[in-house]
Amino acid sequence: MRLHAVAALAACLATASGVFQDDAGHIDFHYALLGYPKQDATFFQKPYAASKASLLYTVSENRTIGAVNPKDGTVVWRQAPSPGARGGGLLRSGEEQDTIISALGDRITAWSASDGRIVWETRVDGAIAEDLEILEQEDGITNNDAKDAIVLLADGSQTVRRLDGKTGRAKWTFADTSGDTPFQVSTSPTTVYYISLHSPLLGGGSKLRVTSLSPITGKKIDSYTLNSDSEIQSKANILFAGANTAAPLLAWTDKANKVIKVSIIGTKGVSSFNTPSNEAVEKIVLHAPNKANSLAHFLVEYQTATGHSAEVYHVDLKRSSVSKAYSLPQLKGKGTFTTSTSDANVYFTRVTAEEVTVVSSVSHGILGRWPVKGSSALVGSYPVHGVSEVVVKGDSASAVRSAILFSNGQWALIRNGEVAWSRPEFLSGAVSAVWAELPEEEALAHELEVEGHQNVISAYIHRVKRHLRDLEHLPAWLQSLPNRVLGNLLGTSKDTTIEEIQHDTFGFHKLVILATDKGRLVALDVGSQGKIVWSIDMHQFALDATFQQPSLKAYRGYVEMKDPGFTGSLFVNSTTGGLLKAQELKTQLPVPLEGQTLVSFDLVDGELKGFVGIEPSSEAVWTFTPPSGEHILSYTTRPAKDPVASIGKVLGDRRVLYKYLNPNLVLVTAVSESARRASIYLLDSASGQLLHTVSHYGVDISRPIPSTMSENWFSYSLALDATSSAASRGYLLVAAELFESPLPDDRGPLGASSNSSTVHPAGVKGDIAKPYVLSQSYQIPEEISHMTVTQTRQGITSRELLVTLPDSNSIVGIPRQVIDPRRPIGRDPTSQEQSEGLVKYAPMILFDPKWHLNHKYEVMGIKEVITSESGLESTSLVFAYGLDIFGTRVAPSFAFDILGKGFNKVQMLITVAALFVGVLFVAPLVRRKQINSLWTMP
Amino acid sequence: MRASIPTLAFLASVTLAARFMLHVPTTQLVNPSTLPSTTHATLQSSGAPLDAHITRSNSFNFYNVSAGSYLATVHCRDFAFEPLRIDVTVEETVEGSGQKKEMIRAWQTFIGNEWDNKGETRGEGGNGLVIEVKPIGQKYYYQERSGFSPLSFLKNPMILMALFSMVLIFGMPYLMENMDPETRAEFEEMQKKGALGSGGTNTAAQIQNFDLASWMAGKTESKSRGQSPAPQQSKKRG
Repeated sequence: MRLHAVAALAACLATASGVFQDDAGHIDFHYALLGYPKQDATFFQKPYAASKASLLYTVSENRTIGAVNPKDGTVVWRQAPSPGARGGGLLRSGEEQDTIISALGDRITAWSASDGRIVWETRVDGAIAEDLEILEQEDGITNNDAKDAIVLLADGSQTVRRLDGKTGRAKWTFADTSGDTPFQVSTSPTTVYYISLHSPLLGGGSKLRVTSLSPITGKKIDSYTLNSDSEIQSKANILFAGANTAAPLLAWTDKANKVIKVSIIGTKGVSSFNTPSNEAVEKIVLHAPNKANSLAHFLVEYQTATGHSAEVYHVDLKRSSVSKAYSLPQLKGKGTFTTSTSDANVYFTRVTAEEVTVVSSVSHGILGRWPVKGSSALVGSYPVHGVSEVVVKGDSASAVRSAILFSNGQWALIRNGEVAWSRPEFLSGAVSAVWAELPEEEALAHELEVEGHQNVISAYIHRVKRHLRDLEHLPAWLQSLPNRVLGNLLGTSKDTTIEEIQHDTFGFHKLVILATDKGRLVALDVGSQGKIVWSIDMHQFALDATFQQPSLKAYRGYVEMKDPGFTGSLFVNSTTGGLLKAQELKTQLPVPLEGQTLVSFDLVDGELKGFVGIEPSSEAVWTFTPPSGEHILSYTTRPAKDPVASIGKVLGDRRVLYKYLNPNLVLVTAVSESARRASIYLLDSASGQLLHTVSHYGVDISRPIPSTMSENWFSYSLALDATSSAASRGYLLVAAELFESPLPDDRGPLGASSNSSTVHPAGVKGDIAKPYVLSQSYQIPEEISHMTVTQTRQGITSRELLVTLPDSNSIVGIPRQVIDPRRPIGRDPTSQEQSEGLVKYAPMILFDPKWHLNHKYEVMGIKEVITSESGLESTSLVFAYGLDIFGTRVAPSFAFDILGKGFNKVQMLITVAALFVGVLFVAPLVRRKQINSLWTMP
Repeated sequence: MRASIPTLAFLASVTLAARFMLHVPTTQLVNPSTLPSTTHATLQSSGAPLDAHITRSNSFNFYNVSAGSYLATVHCRDFAFEPLRIDVTVEETVEGSGQKKEMIRAWQTFIGNEWDNKGETRGEGGNGLVIEVKPIGQKYYYQERSGFSPLSFLKNPMILMALFSMVLIFGMPYLMENMDPETRAEFEEMQKKGALGSGGTNTAAQIQNFDLASWMAGKTESKSRGQSPAPQQSKKRG
């Protein structure tokens, strides 16, 4: 029985279209992103002790842990954060270890450095890891086995723990009951220091309290308070708490950044230094090496409004004193410093947008200098922070590579002054995206419209003029022709420009404009591997705004951006990314025609309300309130552009089932917590009437209930709850289709009447003009987080339901005929049903790997998938965003209107040539035969 | 009374946590060390599923699993795994003793079937149970492109028909020539009779006289073809 069902399913899968291997990576693109790397959690490290090359490890601001190959910038492995993780991310690694240890919220995890698998994991419920250090040395002896980690936990239980490097079990725990704010831990070869902020009861500034712990037992050895003269108000004033240096440091500054104070941890002495006084210092950053046996030197970076400078300090361990060694001159513009070590030597690399210089910590002589060759990705940006690796031979630096985060969100590797790669990390965290409509298309449409409205003669003249104008492009077109033909034959692709997007024959080159949570607006060309066309920071247009959740709306030639943290809206040109003034724009709000009334609706205070006009007004025409105990989760409508090719469905016996096609359908999902019930309501948004309702019981309402609607069908997905002792478990996918009547060749009560009212759809002839709803539900192996439907130009091509599966990091296109609710249940389909393409109902849908649009790519953290028509009827463009960016095109009924890659153009030419040669040979034969036949006349 | 306090404490710790491990064994199908690091397993029951990533030792560790019935799924890019039903219960070790311990039982389960429809058992035991999850098959994402191959070209029925008729057209004249004169005369006699009897053989004759060269040159049917039988007749008369 079960096997049978699988076989039936397999039979229907055979019709599904998959991705061709030679198309993969050509028609689609994938940005495997990490997010903005964090400064203190990014480092170069060898994945295992004997490894020759090192990898670049980072944990990003959105808590993704990843390893990047420094050669080409590809992701070696990455782990997306589990949803609901709190706190910032920490990432540390010991020398010559094959693990890296991360602390995200309450999870402390050791990852295998080479492949990203878990070595061990410890969870401390309710706590947040505040700091994490690796115990490099114990009693002055370097431990070459798995090194233990020291973790500082806050929130809930305030403890310092030493975790075994092999298993992650706590070796000892030191609980802090003093009520101080935990700040950091620091280790020295003999002691573990726990630094906390001690707030005296009588107010005033906090004081730094340093508690030294025995690394072996975790017992408190000593504790002292640093006299910080009420300079430290919060953690933000503390510059640095040195990690793993031979002389761990503690540095802080006053509010005005006039004085920095440095204390060697373990001593009570505080040295204070004045910052450069010629210009106000905006920010101070302290860079110190974090290798245990390196020289105790450090660099203090001063950033001012116009430039940056630095001073290098040396620590004398014997005398426990800190002294200034030399200073690096101020440079105009922004830059950053990085620290790298080689044996005991410490090198500082200064990276600006123009050049990279390396100095030794011992003296200010420049060991190496490389001018940075500009890259188009880094234009107009400056380095924010980075990490470096330096190779020093003799007394000059022979090579340096620095992974630098630039201010425009590019994470680039600069190798000896050349930009080796750049990763567009600013694309991560996209929250809204739209397909841009290009203004040039409109120009042609407008001209055609002009012709349509004129009388025949002037329209003809207009057209001739237009064609003559077009002739000026002819020479250029002829010139490019040989190249294009050759490129076509050899299958080589070329770079695209914005002009090519406008003159794109197949309509594959469409621009997507996306807004990120950092307030950046980016345009990508989906047709040419997601090339970034332009990228702008919206803060330059709205200086004081903080963007939280930008939302976009596309109009002809421009997009409108709105944000709750910003009043009004910003208008941006789709093709150039320039700001447009609202007055310059023609308002293109839908204007109701005469005699029509526009009814809009919105979710107001948990009720769905319909209003007359475009903007929500006080007076609602209709209100939909869910039954008591239920609240509305979301609503979906049919896509704004949803062409329907046929108003009916032709059955196997040539009769027709008429589709219920109502442009005003709204699907509302509402849930009731207490009853564990999810209800689906189908409304007519013009009248507010309820057309259909269905309720599911035993639903896990804490999980997402995605839904979508297109043409005359809708679909949604639910998670079943275990506690309600349901007969089945897992996840459900429900598909429903609306017809005018259950009977074929019958148009229901509306059939005879030539007019019908949208305001009273159910009011016609009693209460029977409701749609006839057929629905079937299926069990699916995985949770769906988002669903949408493919779109094509005329809607002739069958649709595909695109579902996002967060668990397997993929996007799956389910063919429409698989979720056709007319699949026969409990019997084999009749021959007529077979001719319709219906297969026997099976209670589950297993996602065929060939349905995966993303094939081998793993698309993580996808929030939403948007689709658009292309220039071809067969093909729909798909774009997914969230953490990753993914774009492709799908042909649900196969690419019937375009030659695929399987069509060999060279072979076709050879065939034609062979036929021609054949004709040349045969022609004399025919001629001879004809002449012969004439001569043999009787 | 004094004895009951440690028991209570023991109970409290027991009701909190069951821990077990899903392990991917080395099979002919898959070397589990080659699985991508994004491979993870989920335990779904109610609310957010429990999630465990693959470890270096090719297993998924679950800690603090409370009593309940769970659907365990392994998500992997390269291989499909069988879903499991895992029940965690707290039972008395010896009936009436009051001592309780958690029991973990695992079975195969089938998507699209009732939850009570369990398959083969996959393990049973207390804390620290190791349950093996087996891959069912590799995932093939790519569709094969039906490339050009001479064999598939020959399999086309149109091509087969064309080839057959070619054989007839070119082979028949040779056959005729190789016949001894008596049978040939007999055959021609038959043909003539047939031609008189029905129009069907006339078309057959036309096929016999089919001229590939002129057909390929796009020559329209003209009188000359109709006349082609004539020379034979004249020869006879002569």
